[in-house]
Amino acid sequence: MNRIYMDNCVTSQPAPEVLKAMKPYLEEKFWFPGSFISTGEAINSALEGFRKTIALPLNAKANEIHFTSGGTLANNLAIKGLATAHSDQGNHIICSVVDYPDLLTNAAFLENSGFEVTYINADSEGFIDLAELEAAIRPETILFMTTIVNHVLGTIQPMDRIKAILDNADHKIYYHADAGQAFGKIPLDVSILGVDTMAISAHKIHAPQGIGALYVKSGTKLGQIIHGVRRIDDLQPGGLNIALIAGFARAVDLTFEDFASTQTQLRELSDYLLAQIEATIPQVELNGPRGKNRAPHNINTSIDFIEGEAITMMLDLKGITVATGSACASQGLKPNYILMAVGKNHIQSHGSMKFTLSRYNSKSEIDYLVSQLSEISTELRKRSPLFNAKK
Amino acid sequence: MQYSQKVLDHFMHPKNVGKMENPDATATEGSPACGDQVTVYLKVDESSHKIEDISFLSYGCASNIATASIITELAKGKTLDEAKQITWRDAMEALDGLPPVKVHCSVLAADTLQTAISNYEIAHGLKEIPNFGKETIIEELRKIIYPQVGEDIISLKMVKYVGFTDGKVLIDLNIPSFDTWRENVAEEIREHLEKYSEVKDIQINFP
Repeated sequence: MNRIYMDNCVTSQPAPEVLKAMKPYLEEKFWFPGSFISTGEAINSALEGFRKTIALPLNAKANEIHFTSGGTLANNLAIKGLATAHSDQGNHIICSVVDYPDLLTNAAFLENSGFEVTYINADSEGFIDLAELEAAIRPETILFMTTIVNHVLGTIQPMDRIKAILDNADHKIYYHADAGQAFGKIPLDVSILGVDTMAISAHKIHAPQGIGALYVKSGTKLGQIIHGVRRIDDLQPGGLNIALIAGFARAVDLTFEDFASTQTQLRELSDYLLAQIEATIPQVELNGPRGKNRAPHNINTSIDFIEGEAITMMLDLKGITVATGSACASQGLKPNYILMAVGKNHIQSHGSMKFTLSRYNSKSEIDYLVSQLSEISTELRKRSPLFNAKK
Repeated sequence: MQYSQKVLDHFMHPKNVGKMENPDATATEGSPACGDQVTVYLKVDESSHKIEDISFLSYGCASNIATASIITELAKGKTLDEAKQITWRDAMEALDGLPPVKVHCSVLAADTLQTAISNYEIAHGLKEIPNFGKETIIEELRKIIYPQVGEDIISLKMVKYVGFTDGKVLIDLNIPSFDTWRENVAEEIREHLEKYSEVKDIQINFP
């Protein structure tokens, strides 16, 4: 039996069509872009096409798409770039305690560099506190950043209400969004979102790792963060892998050619997964919201009285890849900061299991996962002093 | 570093797992806040002081379950005096090693066994309740593993000073500010010492 892979929010399996689209750029079209000569012009024109392909579903212009080596670099270029370019207008930044680490580590860096950061709180389902956001805005505020879809809880932030608050401010507040978990999962129209910059990543939508893009609204000034020779993009000088860009564009094509039905398929699969878990395993709870305000690919449940690293290991030995928020599985031996920030206790955090689906998953895979998970939960609960004490 | 085959074997098929009815002694160490918890149950022959039966329950990761399993195997059939010699290093060795970040699991398992034995001895008049003092603190610090290398902080000479007066513990640690494990170590020291009723306050200083 093939491995069942349900950790798609970390990375996803490259589509065969994507790998095929990359191949010419690793073989006969190995060139860099350039002027006048045919090889360089061929790459110029290919890149223009790739930018258009990626811009289209975002309702952006091709020249607003900047390729980067991934989502993290895109976040860095935007956050540090916006903060440094507009520091003459103020030194205050707002983000939230449930943001993606790219945002929080950049915020911490900027704090050390003389900026002030307000971290707004989130409710028990991971929605940021909009009243806090409104109250945090002050004349020196130059930047607000948010994570559109929470990478742990699947929570979709209320982007329309965030936009309204920022629009309502009496001065310009630059707006950066991390769309790593949102791109390809929910509709993203940059003009409706009102963002100035937005980071997206290719390997979450069935392209290979190592490529992403930053949307930068026309006319938005960013400070230069990386310096070097211009090959493909002003923001990230130096070389970028053209084959990966070609793969990225193909993955975007595939994701959006029938976007509505892919979304429906993911929603049906995750609804089915949650229903099966809740019907089969007692004393589990869903982390994050239920329904339309949750990204269609994410289910995160806490299985009480047992620990996620042990569950993950047992599933791994059964050929299933999933993720946990347990401290024991983390590099820093800390419980997941998102779960703790939304008020979960240690048992819920250590017992949290995250399943992130892709279009390659099936109901039969879910059936197998749930049957294994149920057996594992029963076995580990038999061994657990917490469960035995509750009996 | 990945888990050894022995760790995986003891994790998937643990020995002596389960709650014991009418044990002669029991001990629970750790807590959900620490991320792991182990309970050890003992049945001890009253005349020979041999551990006739032993079992455990574990809330924790794969290495937590495996180390608890191996510690019960090491203790089974031994006299209390023999079993008192079993350390976390023995558990590690019997499992063909653990990743450094998981060494604290073997400490928890060995510690729980030792507490169960101590509880038996106290209940059966074989020893007095030990006085709490500086030595107790140092013994506890020997159980704090620096996760990056998987050794205890006393052996690594990370503890510069230990003091105890009027319920106040004072510990000077030689861990620099850029060390990402500094907070973990301090937190674990607190968890180990807070369980003693004699400890009213803990102050940990860094350079």
